[in-house]
Amino acid sequence: MREEIEVLQRALERERFARKSAEKILEEKSRNLFTISRELKLTNLHLQQLLDEKSSVLEGIFENINDAYLVIDLQGNILKMNDIAENLFGYNLNEEQLNFTDLIYESDKEYTKNSFITLKEKGSLSNYTIRIVTKSNKIKWIQINASLLFDRNKKPKEAQGIVRDITAIKELELQKEKILHQLEKSNEELKEYAHIVSHDLKSPLRSINALISWIKHDNLDKFDENSLKNFELIEDTLSTMDNLISDILEYSSADADSSNQTKVDLNHLVLELKKVLYIPNHIAINIKNKLPNLVGDKIKFQQLFQNLISNSVKFIDKEKGIIDIDVQDKNTYYQFSVADNGIGIEEKYHKKIFKIFQTLNKNKESTGIGLSIVKKIVNLYQGDIWLESYPQKGTKFIFTLKK
Amino acid sequence: MEKSLKVLLVEDNLIEIMKMKRTISLLKSKHTIHEAKNGEEALQFLEDKSNLPDIILLDLNMPKISGIEFLKILKADDDLKHIPTIILTTSSNQKDLLECYRTGMSGYVLKPLKYEDYVKKIETVLTYWSINELIKI
Repeated sequence: MREEIEVLQRALERERFARKSAEKILEEKSRNLFTISRELKLTNLHLQQLLDEKSSVLEGIFENINDAYLVIDLQGNILKMNDIAENLFGYNLNEEQLNFTDLIYESDKEYTKNSFITLKEKGSLSNYTIRIVTKSNKIKWIQINASLLFDRNKKPKEAQGIVRDITAIKELELQKEKILHQLEKSNEELKEYAHIVSHDLKSPLRSINALISWIKHDNLDKFDENSLKNFELIEDTLSTMDNLISDILEYSSADADSSNQTKVDLNHLVLELKKVLYIPNHIAINIKNKLPNLVGDKIKFQQLFQNLISNSVKFIDKEKGIIDIDVQDKNTYYQFSVADNGIGIEEKYHKKIFKIFQTLNKNKESTGIGLSIVKKIVNLYQGDIWLESYPQKGTKFIFTLKK
Repeated sequence: MEKSLKVLLVEDNLIEIMKMKRTISLLKSKHTIHEAKNGEEALQFLEDKSNLPDIILLDLNMPKISGIEFLKILKADDDLKHIPTIILTTSSNQKDLLECYRTGMSGYVLKPLKYEDYVKKIETVLTYWSINELIKI
């Protein structure tokens, strides 16, 4: 009997213990559950806030972007558009239905079809430019950036697009093109005109020269020394006139924008010039540092160096003439110099010499145009030119050319 | 052996024609000069296929048919396009030069200012062409 009671008591004890631990587990689980549910609630709240936030951001974008925004279905029907789109197209979706393709300017429809295919294939479309006709029959240029919107199964559902009214830009562009074209034409005409004028002015000089030469030769024994001297003066005058016409022609075409832009080896160019130009034996031309390559019109670089070198040659009065050509790299541009040991130029004339027809020394070779051409070409390459000079000692022309 | 050339000079300026004639006589050359005062006159002269010139000296600046237009007519004509045509002009217009080369000219000579230089240039041109083998039809 006693044994039975003990057995029962032990069983009771075990059961109590088991219940206690079960309660403990339960309590623990329920506490866990509580924490999880609280966390879940927090997360939910957070998500809700995020959603609200994003929706309001989107709403804000939709209402406030400066560009028109619209959503269309895959048939082109406009489902939604913002105020700017309504103003741009002149339609109100609350009052009438609108298909985007109906807006498109007739001759741009084909192009639009292709663009729509591209959008479907690639999922997006950028800077696609067409003309549309608004409700008030105005033609506008628009630029569209569009992308597809997908449903849950990743199937394309709709397309959204940002539409920018570029009518004003396009008009300016067209205007600019027109003006450029006109400028090109008038440049061409001017060049042609300069050539015709030069031809028509030079031809009579050739005739006069021939006639003078014949009169002289046919009557050689009949003219006294004085008359023969005068014939020589006429010939010199004709020669001056001829040079003047050539130089004016060169000057007038010096700033014409040229399409012959190539990489020019200036070192090679100057070495070639040394061979071609008339350089008296007593004058030495030295290139102090190797001249660089520059992109530009070779003829213009040639004119530039040729005029400066000839100018130096003309004004060297020393027994041993020196012309030093040098260059310094100044990062965004090169600084060149052409220095001689000639007669030099007084400071008060430093500005004057770049003006057309200004020559300080009247002689038949100098027309006063050479340095004007130099200045024009330097300016064409966004450079500057100035000089350092002392009478009797020499002149150093310094100029910059943009890289 | 230098041949004597039959030269057609297409030139509207009276003094230029005088220059050429005087040059020929000065050089005591046996070349003969036929002159045409404009493109129309030159084309008329060229109609007589039994009397075609060996070379043509052509001024570019002429009234009505310009030198370049004349050259194009010439080079489009199967009976005439073989005749070497040398341009004589005062203008060193790159555009003209390029167009003349493309059209098929045989030379482009700039008229110098001094008559003595002109004589030298013409002499060189005539000597060059007179040592060339020329097509006779």
